[in-house]
Amino acid sequence: MKESTIASDSQSSPETLAAGVARALPLWEIASVMTSCLIAEWAVLVFVGHSKWVMAIPITLAFGLMLFSHRECGETLRDLGLRTDNFVFSCRLLFLPTALAVFLIVSFGWFTSQSSFSAPWRWRFAALPLWALLQQYVLNGFINRRAQIALGAGPKSIALVAIAFSILHLPSPLLALLTLVAGATWAFVYQRAPNLYALALSHTIASLTLALTVSPRWLNGLRVGFKYFG
Amino acid sequence: MKLPSTNLVHVLIGKSILETVLVGSLAVIAFLTILPPYFHGWGEVTDYGVAGWAVDNGSRWERVEVQLFIDGNFFDTAVANRSRPDVSSAGWAVDEWHGYAFVINSLSAGPHEARVYALRNSGNATRKSLQLMGTPIQFVVGSDGKLQKHSAAK
Repeated sequence: MKESTIASDSQSSPETLAAGVARALPLWEIASVMTSCLIAEWAVLVFVGHSKWVMAIPITLAFGLMLFSHRECGETLRDLGLRTDNFVFSCRLLFLPTALAVFLIVSFGWFTSQSSFSAPWRWRFAALPLWALLQQYVLNGFINRRAQIALGAGPKSIALVAIAFSILHLPSPLLALLTLVAGATWAFVYQRAPNLYALALSHTIASLTLALTVSPRWLNGLRVGFKYFG
Repeated sequence: MKLPSTNLVHVLIGKSILETVLVGSLAVIAFLTILPPYFHGWGEVTDYGVAGWAVDNGSRWERVEVQLFIDGNFFDTAVANRSRPDVSSAGWAVDEWHGYAFVINSLSAGPHEARVYALRNSGNATRKSLQLMGTPIQFVVGSDGKLQKHSAAK
């Protein structure tokens, strides 16, 4: 059920950009979305603290750009991976890596917390599926698709997605490492079976396991950006 | 999938400009709230320490909290509330109670550098910033424990 590469079925119109520019443009789009995320994570918190209104500005700009870009490229929700027909196939691809990740995370949590899990349940974990879906949309529904246009499907675009995901989780060293591996896995699966629901499910399971079994002193409450130091 | 039109380039440029303006504005607002350029002051070496004055021109009746760092390390904190009639008579302050003095008696003999900072609280005291008062003070501790201005200091 491997999907055809995104770039291969491109078509041009009189008002479209030259093909060469159009292939470089996705990299700019990725950089732009990354910049918005980094501004929200670092600059807003540094300069004005936890101001949700100010935080909303770069986030809105990023989502505005992504939605406009989808419209410009004629992408549908189905193209992005918001579909159900390949959900089972995608879940099947994700089962082993997710199970392995859960096993490794639980083992790490067990050994580093002297054989006891002390992380408490928090009600904000209930919003994890939605948060995971949102992250997967940005990571794969947008960044992965644009990376494939620029670099083609395969190792290069997968590496770009993984590195981008990891950078957004700095400066937490453990999270940056985990997201590098997880980002590559999810990007690989998305390129074979683009289904954001399945990816969000895997993301939720991994994040929840991480939050409940690994001591907060290793993860600092899953905080990223400037918040990591607070 | 269609190739994008030039509109996408325009949107990208517009977004970049907006974000540059946003970050620039945030930096200016942060500078004005966290590090307002309202502090004035000076410090100099005395026989047994560092003394001087500090005034917050944004809040002229307030006493400024000052911190002394020697050779880059925190040494002591004090409130600038000592009498300095020369400061008010020179027009720097509305009253004379803006002086500070730190006694230094635990340094090894030899050259050292002192820096006096005004402490600024903002964001309901969740943010603290330091603003240097005057210039770094070069001094030498003699074998008798007395301080004197470093002769090589500018």
